[in-house]
Amino acid sequence: MSKRQTEVPYGTLDLLVLKTLETMGTMHGYAIARRIEQVCGDALQLSQGSVYPALMRLQQEGWICADWGISETNRKVKFYSLTKAGRKQLLVEVANWEKATALVARFLEESA
Amino acid sequence: MTVRRVVAGLLALMRKRRLDRELESEVLAHLELAERDAIERGASPEEARRAARRSFGGIEQMKEEHRDQRSFRWMETLLRDLRFRLASLARDPGFAAVTIGLLALGIGANTAMFSIVDAVLLKPLPFPEPERMVRVWETPPNSLPNATTTLTFLDWKRQDDIFEALSVERPIRAAMATGGDPARLSGKLVSADYFKVFGVKPRIGRTFAPEEDQPGAARVVVLSYSFWQTRYGGDPDVLKWDLALDGEPHRIIGVLPAGSFDRDEAGFWKPLIFAPDQLNRIQHVLHVVGRLRAGVSLEQARAKMNMLRASLAGVIEGKDWGFAVEPFAQRLVGDTLRRSIYLAFGGVLVVLLIACANVANLVLAKGATRRKEMALRAALGASRGRLIGQLLTESLVLCLLGGAAGVAVAYLLLDAAAPLMAASLPFTADLSLDLRVLGFAAAAVMAVLILAGLLPSLQTSFSKLSDSLNQAARGSSGSSAAVRRTIVIGEVAASVVLICGAALLFKSLANLQQVDAGVRIDHVITMSADLPSTAYPSPESAARFYEAVVQRLRAVPGVEQAGISHRLPLQGEGWGEGMSLPGVTRGFGVGLKPVDPWYFSTLQIPLVSGRGIEDRDRAGAPPVVVINQELARHLSSEFGIANPVGRTVGIDVPGYGPIPESVVNVQIVGVIRSERTGGLHRPQRRAAYMPLAQAPQQDIKLVVHTQSEPLAVVSGIREAVRQVDPNLPLGDVRTMEQVKQQSMLWAKQPTWVVGAFAGVAALLAALGLYGVLAHAVAQQRREIGIRMALGAQPGDVVAQVLRNAMTLVMAGLVLGLLGAFALTRVIKNLLFNVSPLDPLAFTVACVSIALVGLLAGFVPAKRAAGVDPVTTLRDEG
Repeated sequence: MSKRQTEVPYGTLDLLVLKTLETMGTMHGYAIARRIEQVCGDALQLSQGSVYPALMRLQQEGWICADWGISETNRKVKFYSLTKAGRKQLLVEVANWEKATALVARFLEESA
Repeated sequence: MTVRRVVAGLLALMRKRRLDRELESEVLAHLELAERDAIERGASPEEARRAARRSFGGIEQMKEEHRDQRSFRWMETLLRDLRFRLASLARDPGFAAVTIGLLALGIGANTAMFSIVDAVLLKPLPFPEPERMVRVWETPPNSLPNATTTLTFLDWKRQDDIFEALSVERPIRAAMATGGDPARLSGKLVSADYFKVFGVKPRIGRTFAPEEDQPGAARVVVLSYSFWQTRYGGDPDVLKWDLALDGEPHRIIGVLPAGSFDRDEAGFWKPLIFAPDQLNRIQHVLHVVGRLRAGVSLEQARAKMNMLRASLAGVIEGKDWGFAVEPFAQRLVGDTLRRSIYLAFGGVLVVLLIACANVANLVLAKGATRRKEMALRAALGASRGRLIGQLLTESLVLCLLGGAAGVAVAYLLLDAAAPLMAASLPFTADLSLDLRVLGFAAAAVMAVLILAGLLPSLQTSFSKLSDSLNQAARGSSGSSAAVRRTIVIGEVAASVVLICGAALLFKSLANLQQVDAGVRIDHVITMSADLPSTAYPSPESAARFYEAVVQRLRAVPGVEQAGISHRLPLQGEGWGEGMSLPGVTRGFGVGLKPVDPWYFSTLQIPLVSGRGIEDRDRAGAPPVVVINQELARHLSSEFGIANPVGRTVGIDVPGYGPIPESVVNVQIVGVIRSERTGGLHRPQRRAAYMPLAQAPQQDIKLVVHTQSEPLAVVSGIREAVRQVDPNLPLGDVRTMEQVKQQSMLWAKQPTWVVGAFAGVAALLAALGLYGVLAHAVAQQRREIGIRMALGAQPGDVVAQVLRNAMTLVMAGLVLGLLGAFALTRVIKNLLFNVSPLDPLAFTVACVSIALVGLLAGFVPAKRAAGVDPVTTLRDEG
């Protein structure tokens, strides 16, 4: 839908968000963005804001849920956590990702 | 996209504002946290804020994407356009009212009309498995199917491998004591199987048990829902009551559900019991309805019935008569009704088309004034699709509002029209706004949207950008004006077709009105009575009643003359019988109408030769008959009998009660001038009149010639009848004029309906024409101002506008006449003594549309003449 290119490879942001929530438990949007930045380090150019559309999408799919809470700066924010369906989806996404990377890797090897 | 997300997206659409607010607060919290972290790392507050913003990325872009993700973009756009449109409609209530009113009228009238078409012609009958329902007849060769006899019916009924249920039906009237004057009720005599034929289960109680139509059964009756409501106030304990019919108590055993049977004339049903002395094959009085067994086809049933007919060859009276099985639905809707309904539907579709054209015109006119806005939007980068989308949304709003109002209009129209049409429609026709009808209304809205919305929006948004911007300040609006003129020409043409049709129908109706009925119409009042078998068991008792009543009636103040007949003029003869000449085997059919000695003089039917029916022609006296000129002519041309008076002929005389029909040799004693026994539009029929005393009837009509206003004498007539028989109710109180008008209903209804549609069409065409002319005048103010400044007189300006109007009207007229030439032949069967290409009717149509054109042009022309050159030129300069 959007004409802009995300800095993160297409479709991987969902996976990163899900994996973050699996490892870290309940978190708010800023913490999720920071965590992804820290884990990936310089390898990734992430606009922190782009986690919010992804969070909305995952929420609509029913993979994560959101609850209102208070941030460290005493402001109302949404805290996100993984649902049961989200855990299942994460397994699927990881499997898909591994399959895809394995495929691409083999292809590159063969062609080299 | 998963179903889950579609649902979520729809929800998000409704909670748009809240979601935006939530996102906003999340973003703020995010930035705060980022700032705090940066400050902890040692940055200054200013640097921290900038860093936080930088690492967040574009906030507005993110919000856009958020909206894209959570919902459907086009729907949000649509909703925005809708809101915009509603607001702009509210700003221009005149435009909104006119367009919505036009659409409501067009869609409403069409929806109402479709409801009639659907109920009468399209929907299956409102009974379970209606395709298994049949009527069964005896069929004389080369004639309409005929009723059957008791014994033959019983033979049919035994064919239970074909018929699951078979029943007779015969309308009756009965008197019901109500305290004051006795009431006259309509009901039906039926077999026990009757309701099985229709597959109707009672609302309360039960319907007839099989043994209840056998001799000796107790008297029972089933009521219709509406009868139960009106007479018993819907009392749930009604089964405890007896209903006294003609003085005999009948146990109420059940009440039917509301629905079709409430539209039937009958309010009660009781079993028809064949008494042993009624079992014969002579009296053809039984109409038969049946339900085929499941799996038995019409063809199989016919084949079986033909075999049965062959096996009965020895006993059947009419040697060359066959048996016929036809679908029940076949005879429900007559040819005239079918044609009238299609005609009215066609007419109303034309009205809708014209209404659409007007709306399209209005939208175009509005579009012309909005060209600048559109051009600007296009210049600012709105895509062509987006502009068309916006214009279509606007039309959609108009159409939806118009459609909703149209459904309300349809409801009101049906409510008003249903009672007027009830008598003309079959009892199975349920006029209601059901889902099918609403579906039609929705389809009409879609069609209107395409006709009145899509075309103008293409027109407006495809015109060239630069043209619009250049022209905007100046006058004419080029191609849009041409399209609008074309639309008006089409409107005029369509209304010309309708006006031609209406003019033809009105001329036909006028012709029909002028047909001489052959009887006195003014100062005549008529009533019906039915002599119950309980009080009048014998022909003699009935004859005594006729004599006593006529004597009393003539003594009523204000009554000039009074007579009794079996049937009124224009309502048929009552009996179709065979007549034969002695020594001639070949008989022929005549209408037999029993009348009393004063019938001819009361209705001023003159004698041509011989004598009329006289007081001396009583039960014991030699039987006589008076014939009409038509029959005399037939005797003369077919049998060479120049003077029929004095001749003896054989005629089948109907019986009285259980007394069967018999062939009697009667002497022709006179010839009368033909009265119209059938409808005014039908050719004269051969009719014979027997003295009522010699062929007594239970159902009779009183015909009273009064000195003054006939309705004033009604109470006197009732009193006179009450003196003879206080238990006998009188019904159908109508003047002869009303009887005549009613006989023309088949022609009047479609005529007035098409006439009304033609009027509306002309009005709408005038509106359209007015709109275009007024717009042209407004656009040409400057040109007109210059011309007037150069010396043109107001008269010249008026003439120019009217010329403009007449050009459009003439173009429409030519097209319309071509259409009318092609189309009016479809109403040929509804026309009486008028050619479908009648020049007078076409002239009337031309003149009236020209007048409409002049009227529509008059106001804009006056406005043009009032243009003040000074102001106009200064305004534009």
